[in-house]
Amino acid sequence: MKPAGPSHAAGSRYLSTGPLVWAATLVCTTLLLLMLKQALWLVVPFLFAIILYYALFPAVRRLTLAGVERETSAAIVAGSFFVLAVAAMVPTLPWLAAQAVNGEEALFRYLEGGRMLVDRTLTALESQFGFLKRMDFHAEMGRKIDEFSATYMQEHLTEALLGVAAWLPALLLAPFLAFFFLRDGRRFLKFLSDAVPNAYFERTLYMIERVDGTARAYFQGLLKLTLIDTICLALGLLAIGMPGAIALGLMAAMLAWVPFIGSVIACGIVVLVAATDFPSDPWVVYAAIGLFLFVRLLDDFVFMPLTVGRSLQMHPLPTVLLIFVGGAVAGIPGLILVLPLAGVVMVVAGTIGGIVNNPRLRARHDHAKALGARRITADLHS
Amino acid sequence: MLGFLHGRKETPRLGTLRQLSLFATLSRPELRVVDGLLNERSYLKGEIIFDEGEEGQTVYVIISGRVLICRQGEPETGKITEIDAGVVFGELALLDDAPRALQARAAEDCVLASLSRGDFESLLDTHAVIASKISLQLARQLGRQLRERSAAERRPL
Repeated sequence: MKPAGPSHAAGSRYLSTGPLVWAATLVCTTLLLLMLKQALWLVVPFLFAIILYYALFPAVRRLTLAGVERETSAAIVAGSFFVLAVAAMVPTLPWLAAQAVNGEEALFRYLEGGRMLVDRTLTALESQFGFLKRMDFHAEMGRKIDEFSATYMQEHLTEALLGVAAWLPALLLAPFLAFFFLRDGRRFLKFLSDAVPNAYFERTLYMIERVDGTARAYFQGLLKLTLIDTICLALGLLAIGMPGAIALGLMAAMLAWVPFIGSVIACGIVVLVAATDFPSDPWVVYAAIGLFLFVRLLDDFVFMPLTVGRSLQMHPLPTVLLIFVGGAVAGIPGLILVLPLAGVVMVVAGTIGGIVNNPRLRARHDHAKALGARRITADLHS
Repeated sequence: MLGFLHGRKETPRLGTLRQLSLFATLSRPELRVVDGLLNERSYLKGEIIFDEGEEGQTVYVIISGRVLICRQGEPETGKITEIDAGVVFGELALLDDAPRALQARAAEDCVLASLSRGDFESLLDTHAVIASKISLQLARQLGRQLRERSAAERRPL
């Protein structure tokens, strides 16, 4: 991730800050999330395309450094990624097909493993604490879990799985979108800055650079965090003897893209796998939970400040507030998108605030317009 | 290396860029990289390009026309110099965070190419050779300006 250089530090004087800008950021982010919610089928591939773009961008930069034109570099990098992705997918296809056939069976096996873990834990608790036995805690909890799995789980799980299946074809758009971002992204930014009047040109240029820098720092930070989390979790799971440690670590690290609940869901899945594969050894489950808590702490206090944390430069309080707003407005995609979106909206709102509060810039724009008008009408007055 | 991927003829646009002192030492592929970073702006005679005291984000090169450098709001009495096509101005924006020292106005209709500090910094990261060639040209121009100024100060009135 590129550190904030002197231009960013100095350029922040361009950005207006204050309660109005903050309110505008919150309102605009919420409205954008509401709009995005209506086009989730497009938002998800876009999000993956942006992540892919920032992942592949360094390779394109290296090729342009070697003298290859940007268009050719984008085609080479995106094409190579596509070929590698297909090559990696082909050997896993038979396994995926087998999983799809046995998916439901495996899912219920793991849920049953989880249920047995809960049973064992409640029995142990009842034997330790007499008041729980007197309350008939185990039976009561068992009944509630049965009710939950009979109604909510079956209804919503099917719905969620169908939703994911519906999104999968749209995800194929991601590599194509990423290719066009890589090839034409720079041209598009230039096109945007060309459309701005001369008086506001330098500020707009700065805003575009800041927006690009913020998004790049966030998504590249997110990728680095995912890699670090995958390594830590995979090593930890290997150490406690879990099967499929790397796949589980990668899945958990990717689920952590969803703030708060992502890690909880990932931990739940790993606990279910541990409880099913090691039914007679509850210590594996406890070790998995301990590992997730440890990696979560490392994430919050070490890895995240070093990777994603620096990119948005937001105070933790509005960050938490925004995460809640994102979740309430647009569910899980809202949770993932709200922070980068707010970071970008904050820069745009700050720039517009800076222009609105600068009468000199507006006067220069009016002067330029008057010069143009005088030029157009010069022959009419003679 | 990979030269077969960039063996195209020089376009008129690259020819124009090569005429500018700032990019005179760049090779064709290097010019193409820089061309991707430049923004072209047109200004009418009398239009302000930047104000004194404003924070500078870009360096400008005059592609055509003339630019007046003067003290803020004093185009007649506070005229410092008038510069022609091919010359760079606002170059200190690339080097430090100091505000613009003078005002720049279009002395006649002009077309300018601008390179932002952010892009120059990313050039330093990604294309160090190009960035060093541009820096050398900038240093030469600053040296020339210094020599001219000290010669002007020594000249008897």
